[in-house]
Amino acid sequence: MSLDRSVVRRAFADALPLFVPAVPFAFVIGLVIVESGINPFVGWSSSWIIYGGAAQLTLLSLLGSGAAVVAAVTAALVVNARHLMYSAALAPTFQRQPRWMRWLGPYVLIDQLFALSVLRIDDDPKTWRTYYLAAGALFWTLWQITTAVGLFLGPVVPQAWNLEFAVPILFLGLIVIGIDKYPKLVAALVGAGVTYLTAGLPNRSGLLVGALVGIAAGTFAERFRT
Amino acid sequence: MTALLAVIAVGMGTYLSRAIFVLALANKRIPDPVLVALQFVGSSVLAALVVALLIDADGNVVIGVPEVSAFVVGGSVAYKTRNHIFTLIAGMGVFWLVRALL
Repeated sequence: MSLDRSVVRRAFADALPLFVPAVPFAFVIGLVIVESGINPFVGWSSSWIIYGGAAQLTLLSLLGSGAAVVAAVTAALVVNARHLMYSAALAPTFQRQPRWMRWLGPYVLIDQLFALSVLRIDDDPKTWRTYYLAAGALFWTLWQITTAVGLFLGPVVPQAWNLEFAVPILFLGLIVIGIDKYPKLVAALVGAGVTYLTAGLPNRSGLLVGALVGIAAGTFAERFRT
Repeated sequence: MTALLAVIAVGMGTYLSRAIFVLALANKRIPDPVLVALQFVGSSVLAALVVALLIDADGNVVIGVPEVSAFVVGGSVAYKTRNHIFTLIAGMGVFWLVRALL
């Protein structure tokens, strides 16, 4: 297969700036792994087994804080449920791809790659595939490296800095930047409020109650939006 | 061992959520009510997580002046700049500062 270098260059140029916001997540994942007491290699393996920053942070920080494993796994899966939308949106484009691409492509389908590749679905199949795989490979490689670097930064950072507090700060940033209409604000406020009220439930399972009620509240607000 | 199994379970579920329509349901559409609900998964779950991560072993939410200050400033910076790095620096900076002052 001859590689169209101009497409690859274009993919790299588009992808690199989009990776920058992920760097603090990568470093914090490394720190969380070290503080959680999870075997560092197992923790880092989540970078290629899961390959999704928000879900990795959710799973690892909940496991590290003594939440029930089932609650931690469920919460991480709920965080990643948004990928269903990407999968559905790109499915017609993937139908024009060879079988190996239909199996491999979804593995690297993160938010940033979706944002880039969905803009180019009118390209011919081979160009689209080259672009998708080049950008995907760049994101994937940088993620493995930066999360590994975070692992080495972890032990260097003093415990007294309470850097685990960076996780809720980063999540708050994701929420604020993601709010583009008021039903999403409703979903966030209700999700947080209900989790607060159910904090006494065992193993942090109130998190799931809060999340579900928040989703329902957002859906409800959307329906009555004028 | 438990941690590894948890990572693998989330990994499989994540791959499935990314691949299911590409591999199996290419001609199926997500029903509209589900699509509407999916939009709110991110905001709701992340907000629930912010609170859940502050719960201590006894089931109390541990949130004081440093945390609230950090959320207000971090949230404002995120809103103004749309930048995760600035948000993190501002939030942690205020957290440390207020904690040192109190």
